[in-house]
Amino acid sequence: MKRCGKQVCVLLLILSLTICIQDIHSASAYIGDRTWPQVSEYPSLHIIGFGDFNYSDTDARGYKSGFKEGQFVLHFTSALSPKVNFYGEVSLTARADAGTAGKGLQTGESVPPAPGFNPEVERGFIRFDQSDYFKVSFGRFHTPINWWNTAFHHGLWLQTSIGRPEMVQFGGMFIPVHFVGGLVEGALPTHGLNVNYNVGVGNGRGSVVSRAGDAGDNNNDRAWLINLFTKPDHFFGLQVGGSLYRDRITLAPKEFDEWIAAGHIVWQKENPELIAEYANVNHHELGSSSSSNSPAYYIQAAYRLPWFEALWKPYYRFEYIRIPRTEVVFKGSDFDRTSSIVGLRYDITQFAAIKAEYRNQHRPDQPRVNGYSLQTSFTF
Amino acid sequence: MGRLKPLFEFWISLFVVGLCLGMFPSEADAATNGDVAVVVHPDVPADDLSLAEVRRLLLGDRQFWSYDLPVTLLIRAPIARERDVVLKIIYQMSEAQFRQYWIAKVFRAEVAVGPKIVYSNEMATGLVGSIPGSISFVDAAQVPNGLKVLKVDGHLPGEKEYPLR
Repeated sequence: MKRCGKQVCVLLLILSLTICIQDIHSASAYIGDRTWPQVSEYPSLHIIGFGDFNYSDTDARGYKSGFKEGQFVLHFTSALSPKVNFYGEVSLTARADAGTAGKGLQTGESVPPAPGFNPEVERGFIRFDQSDYFKVSFGRFHTPINWWNTAFHHGLWLQTSIGRPEMVQFGGMFIPVHFVGGLVEGALPTHGLNVNYNVGVGNGRGSVVSRAGDAGDNNNDRAWLINLFTKPDHFFGLQVGGSLYRDRITLAPKEFDEWIAAGHIVWQKENPELIAEYANVNHHELGSSSSSNSPAYYIQAAYRLPWFEALWKPYYRFEYIRIPRTEVVFKGSDFDRTSSIVGLRYDITQFAAIKAEYRNQHRPDQPRVNGYSLQTSFTF
Repeated sequence: MGRLKPLFEFWISLFVVGLCLGMFPSEADAATNGDVAVVVHPDVPADDLSLAEVRRLLLGDRQFWSYDLPVTLLIRAPIARERDVVLKIIYQMSEAQFRQYWIAKVFRAEVAVGPKIVYSNEMATGLVGSIPGSISFVDAAQVPNGLKVLKVDGHLPGEKEYPLR
C-alpha cells in the first residue's frame, strides 16, 4: 500500500511535468503566431511589500509591554511566459536575541552574534497555468488546508484583525503552515458552483514540527493533501470548503501518523464579514494504540460601518484550541486556550490602516489574561 | 404665412446646424444612453455570457477563454462612469475594496498581474482590437465597428433588461 502510494505520487508528478512541457511548447508556438504584445516583457518582475509596527501590553505576569517591529515582507511576481510564473515571498523578522553571541550546539564553539533580523523565504514556487482547470506548481507554499493561511499570507494589512488566529500562527505547530512539494490546482464552473481544488504531495513536517522539510524530508513518507471549496455564483462572496491532510511525523525514535481534517465557511464581503474555520488534528503513534484528537476553531465577524466614509470596521473573534493531555507531538506547546478579541480597524488611506484590539485569553490551569494591542499595517 | 416663412427657415437651419454639431442624440445614441457595453477582441469564442460569468472574468477567477487564449482585462481608470458601473454592478465593491481585492489577488498568487488600466474609451477599444483575448467595458455609444459586443444575460446594450447601466 505504501509503495503503491509512492508510485502514484511519482506518476502524478511525471504526468504533470509532461503536460507542462508539452504546453510550454504549444504556448511558444502561440506567441510566435499571434505576436503576443507582452512577449518582449519577459521576465517581468513586480514587487509589492507589506509592513507593520505594533505596541502591546498585557496583565500577564512577567510580560514586558512595548513597541515591536513587525515583519517586513516583500512579494515577488515574475511572469516568465504567458503561462509560466514565479511567485516568491520573503520576510524579515526582528529577533529578540539580536547581537548576542552563543555556543554551537554540537561543538560548543562560539558562534557569531545573531543578526538583527531573521530572513525567511516564506513562499517560493514556479507555476504553470495550463488552463483554469489545471495548474501545476513546485516549491514552498503556505499549506492550502486552511482558509486564513492562504488568504492573507504575511500581509497583515490585508486581514481585518491585528494577528492571525492561533491555529494558523506563524511559528506555531497546530497546522503545518508551510508545505514543500508539488501542487495541482484548478477551478471547474460546474453549473455555477465554481468548485476549486488543490491536490498536493510534499515533505510534510520536519524534525522540528513547526517547520516544513525545506532541506529534505526526514522520512520516506510523503505528506499529501486534498482541498476542495466552492464559490457559488448565486451567493457572490460566499466560500465553503474542506480539506484533508495526511503525513507521517518522525520524532526519533517514535513515529506518528497525522491526519488533519478541516473546514471553513467564509462570507468575504465587508458588510458583514464572517469567517469560521474548524480543524481536527489526529495523531496516532505507530506500534501503539495511543491516539489523540486536538480540535480547534475560530469565528470572526466584522462589519464596515457605512458612516464616516466607510473607514471604520469593528470586529470580534472567538478562538478555541484544545490539546488533550495524551497528545505527544504537541507536548510542551502553549496554544491550548480559549480567547476573545474585540477590535476596531481604521483605514487611514487606501493602503494603510490602524488597528486597536482588546484580547481576553484563558489557558488551562492559568489565570485569565487581558491585553491590548495597537498596530499600523500597510502595503507599499 | 409669408411672414412666418423666415421664422420657419430659421428653426430648420438651427436644427440642421444642431445635428451637425451633435447637439441632438442619434437614434442609436438614444437607445444605448448610459449602457456600458462588454467589448471583446473578435477572436474571443463567446457571444453571450451571464452576469455571473462576466463577474468571474472580472474577478480574475476565469483567466482563459480557451486553453491557448488567456483573458486580458482592461478597466477604465478611476472617475470614469464605465468604471463606476463595473464596480457597482459586477464587483459590488467600493474603490478601496477594489484596490485591496487586486493587491490580495496578486499576493495570493492567484493571478500574475491585475487588470490593465485604460484612460479613455478610445484607448480601451483600440487595445481590445489589437490584443487577442482582451475584454473591456465602454460606453455603448462609442463602440467602433469591428469589435465584438457581448450579450449579457441574453441582452445587448439598449435593450430594456440589459444589466450594465
